Amino acid sequence: MRPEACAAAREALPVETTAPTPDATIREGEMEGALHVVGEHGYRAASVRAVLEYSGGHRKQFYEHFDSLEDCFAQAYSAWIDRLGATVLTVAVAADGWQASVRAGLVALFRFVAQSPEISRALFVEVQVAGGRASAKHDEAVERLAGLLNTVREELSPDDRPPPSAGAFVVGGIEACVCDALAAGEADRIWDALPELMHLAVGTYLGKEAADEALDEARTLLDEHRDTLEGDA
Amino acid sequence: MSELRLVPEETGDGPFSTGTPLPRRLPRGRHGIPEGLVVEHQRRRLLLAMAEALAEHGYANVTTTQVSERANVSTATFYKHFGNLWDCALAAYVVGADGLCGAIEGACAADRDEATDDVPPPDSDAPLEAGIAAALAFFAAEPVLARLLCAQPPREASALRAARRLLVSRLAALLRRARGSGDGTPQPPGLDERMIDATLVFVGGRIASEGAVDLPGIAAELAAILDRSRQPA
Repeated sequence: MRPEACAAAREALPVETTAPTPDATIREGEMEGALHVVGEHGYRAASVRAVLEYSGGHRKQFYEHFDSLEDCFAQAYSAWIDRLGATVLTVAVAADGWQASVRAGLVALFRFVAQSPEISRALFVEVQVAGGRASAKHDEAVERLAGLLNTVREELSPDDRPPPSAGAFVVGGIEACVCDALAAGEADRIWDALPELMHLAVGTYLGKEAADEALDEARTLLDEHRDTLEGDA
Repeated sequence: MSELRLVPEETGDGPFSTGTPLPRRLPRGRHGIPEGLVVEHQRRRLLLAMAEALAEHGYANVTTTQVSERANVSTATFYKHFGNLWDCALAAYVVGADGLCGAIEGACAADRDEATDDVPPPDSDAPLEAGIAAALAFFAAEPVLARLLCAQPPREASALRAARRLLVSRLAALLRRARGSGDGTPQPPGLDERMIDATLVFVGGRIASEGAVDLPGIAAELAAILDRSRQPA
């Protein structure tokens, strides 16, 4: 990934500089509860009561923090998608080269999905049901990731570049795959898709030969180091 | 069938009407229309209303009441046709998916017929381009269906999610057929499905941000992306 893209991405990362207050901790718990409940029961079936059963707070306190369940979900979504973006980005920019960045980013994403399937379901599947502010935040995150993927276009000759929409296309393919695994209740299955998604990402930018190589490399990586990749998942 | 034209036509020849003009409601009282025809028309109106209500209210807020009111039937009539909201959404999805696949197959077949005399090379891009153009034209003509087919359904609508997987498989098979044999190297399984997933999310994003009317204008861009991973670097 190009240095200037990394710098721009780092500036976009959220930075926590102060220790959380007790009230902030409760608010954080309510937000996590909202994502958990939405991920477990679906956005349509979620309720403030279910959130409070998860987080342990009081209704009055909840409404001091948020206007509504929708507001809580939107704020929770914004905070968590930024954190996930930061996690993915941190490992991606540390990798050597564009392809390695893409692979490292996917591995970080898959770890999160396998570790936190309920919250991931809220972030990837139910946000599309919720719409509104959360959906707008989702679209921003997609656009940011698409822009980072597109940095490799600058390394290609103008005649050989895919259209700028290639980034959104690849992110869409990755997200659809994640959604399928989560909606099926088989978050661990997402690891099996690593070779195919590497093929999709690399092939969209660099063509068939590079895509086939990326597919084989990802397969080998999974065969030999799957336990390590899954890490503490 | 002529009795159906006793009331004003509101919808022309979309996939829900299967060629028959679809009035918003049938005449009240004794109209002499066979009961089977009335039931079939109610069903078709409900399917159209479901797609429209989803496009307007999204998965988060759509209700059977909204669908019934749009179709000009009572909720009791709704439940004579469908067990619940998701059954109706599933039926609408299946009709839409059949319409989309039919449009693509028709365009590819017409392209093959036209090319018979010229005998195009086996890896000609023409069938792929014809199929993409047909799909985008279908989406542009049926924007509410396009939203339904491209969106990720909620987790609780498991049958709808299965229908989406089936559509992805059908479209992937059409993509393989349209692309031809390429360089003769067999494509690893699952890759075309990833491409179709990415395409549906990509098109859905375009519709959400810019509407469906101009979708045919992105045909060349989409063909370039879809074709890229089979091209040498």
